[in-house]
Amino acid sequence: MQILQGIAVSPGVAIGEALVMDNEGFRIPRRFVTRDAVEDELERLESAIEAACAEIAHNREAVSRELGEKYGAIFEAHLQMLQDSRLRSELHEMIRERHYSPEYAVSRTLRRYAQVFQRLESSYLAERVYDIFDIEKRLLRHLLGRRREGLSHLSSPVLILAHNLTPSETANLDRKFVRGFATEMGGPGSHTAIVAEALEIPAVVGIGPFLAEVSGGDTVIIDGDQGTVLLQPDEETLARYRHELAEKTSLAARLETLRDLPAVTADDVSIELFGNIEFPYEVEHCIDRGASGIGLYRTEFLYLGSSTEPTEDVHYQAYSQVVRAMGDRPVIIRTFDLGADKVPHLPTPEDERNPFLGLRSIRLALRNLPMFRTQLRAVLRASTLGNVRIMFPLISTLLELRQAKMVLADVMEDLDEKGIPFDRNLQIGMMVEVPAAVMMIDRFVEEVDFLSIGTNDLVQYTLAVDRSNKDVVSLYNSADPAVLKLLAWAIEAADRAQKPINLCGQMSGNPIYTMLLLGLGLRRLSITPSAIPEIKRICRSVSIEQCKAVAKRAAGMENARDIKSFLREELKRSVPELGL
Amino acid sequence: MHARAATLIAEVVRRHQSKVSLRKGPERVEGTDVLQIMSLGAGEGDEVILEAAGNDAEVVLDALTALFDGHFGNEDDPTD
Repeated sequence: MQILQGIAVSPGVAIGEALVMDNEGFRIPRRFVTRDAVEDELERLESAIEAACAEIAHNREAVSRELGEKYGAIFEAHLQMLQDSRLRSELHEMIRERHYSPEYAVSRTLRRYAQVFQRLESSYLAERVYDIFDIEKRLLRHLLGRRREGLSHLSSPVLILAHNLTPSETANLDRKFVRGFATEMGGPGSHTAIVAEALEIPAVVGIGPFLAEVSGGDTVIIDGDQGTVLLQPDEETLARYRHELAEKTSLAARLETLRDLPAVTADDVSIELFGNIEFPYEVEHCIDRGASGIGLYRTEFLYLGSSTEPTEDVHYQAYSQVVRAMGDRPVIIRTFDLGADKVPHLPTPEDERNPFLGLRSIRLALRNLPMFRTQLRAVLRASTLGNVRIMFPLISTLLELRQAKMVLADVMEDLDEKGIPFDRNLQIGMMVEVPAAVMMIDRFVEEVDFLSIGTNDLVQYTLAVDRSNKDVVSLYNSADPAVLKLLAWAIEAADRAQKPINLCGQMSGNPIYTMLLLGLGLRRLSITPSAIPEIKRICRSVSIEQCKAVAKRAAGMENARDIKSFLREELKRSVPELGL
Repeated sequence: MHARAATLIAEVVRRHQSKVSLRKGPERVEGTDVLQIMSLGAGEGDEVILEAAGNDAEVVLDALTALFDGHFGNEDDPTD
């Protein structure tokens, strides 16, 4: 058994069959075939080799014609390597004797040659490794046919192990069968993390290189609570995890009974629990958990999946699906919150050495007005279908907020002229996630209808920690006293101005912070849908008096570790049935 | 021995009837198996023994020797 440590980004445990993707999005196939299938599989290998040879010969001709014989010679070499008789007998033996699948045999064998070449002293030969990989890919492509299209054609439940998942890979993901993710790259807030959270499946990212250790079809465990991935788990470990899964299922079933009960504290204060979503289908998760609204509808996915800018209609279709499904419950749509380096159809920015401090989010919107206006038009059009509110991300200065509001007013005027209906009283809010915005919060509250604290970025900017950097991630801590001070400050200012304030970062879905947040004065939390029942359970078990005392105690403490362990103890004491 | 050299060897061997093998240390590979010839990892100054069996054995060995002597038609590549 091998235990790999990574960063836990989506909770839960999954046990199942691995589907391994290499760093070019190629699916590394399952290991074994049945005895009866051996002859068919050998035949499949032969036709793949034949097809690959024909393809290479064709390339050789074309390249020789266009670039000269010298370049065509590379393909001649590939062709001959592929016709190597020992290679052929090795492949046959693996399939016939060891019952390896042709794909696995090809992968194993050619990777072994690659290793031999890498070990040779000549740097020239070491370079030839790429020839070997090229041949491997070509054969796999012919062997897998359509099945190589990774994640879009699945037929049974799998755990996806990959180098990194790209937005286009996850966009076409077969949701029905994906049970968990583990990736070599990535951090919290990475695309994989967001998708896993949306699918409500466990995910561990930033594990470092491990894909060479595992092959398709192996049984693996992804522990999204501990941030570990277990390869070749032994029977005892499997049994322990199966037991844990059963316990979780029964807790979830108990929490399910809360669905239609209100989130009201023991002293009768009502708390609004909203859901955070990214993809329209998640609206169902919110409704199933009895969310009172969508507190954060992230719209980034619209920009990530394709290489062209989404049209107004693409926006509108997505928004209207969510708004209609929620009926009269509020849906807070956040305008796009991406870095210039992440938007496929925009030019790569030149000076983006530090994307978190760079051209992103509302800054990018204000620099690309046509794109921003397209989104705003779609939001406004969708506003007639239900209870829509709009929210601007990463506001740092008053000027920025005013500019964004001006663009919105301008788009409204446009729609008016064209006679297109929209909700004239649409509420406008802002994310509070830059420390500068908290410092100026008294002024901001005068100019918005509501606020939402984004703790993920607020913590990052306050503590100057990039949480996707494994060397400093341990310094990232939502319980830091500096963060709590900023939260208290923002909440008090909003209360004074009688403007609703919400918290929509990951902090709101973590049970250990619920009492603290209620104690600080929050009455609306926006949470990843799967966490709603648990947070509701806590709200119903505690009193505001009790929470205020917790917040007061925490405010007097000096460091995040003390605060966190204090909060954990308080939760354990107040809500023992969570089984923490 | 890089891909082009190995390819040239295999081409010469295929043009003849004799069975040819290359040996470096304990490793022995078929003269037509390009991938195996490359895996020998033979470089400048290494000793490679050529063996041929068949009715045109001498002819093929002569042709191969000429190939080795001519640095596979590429004088300036030291890895041949």
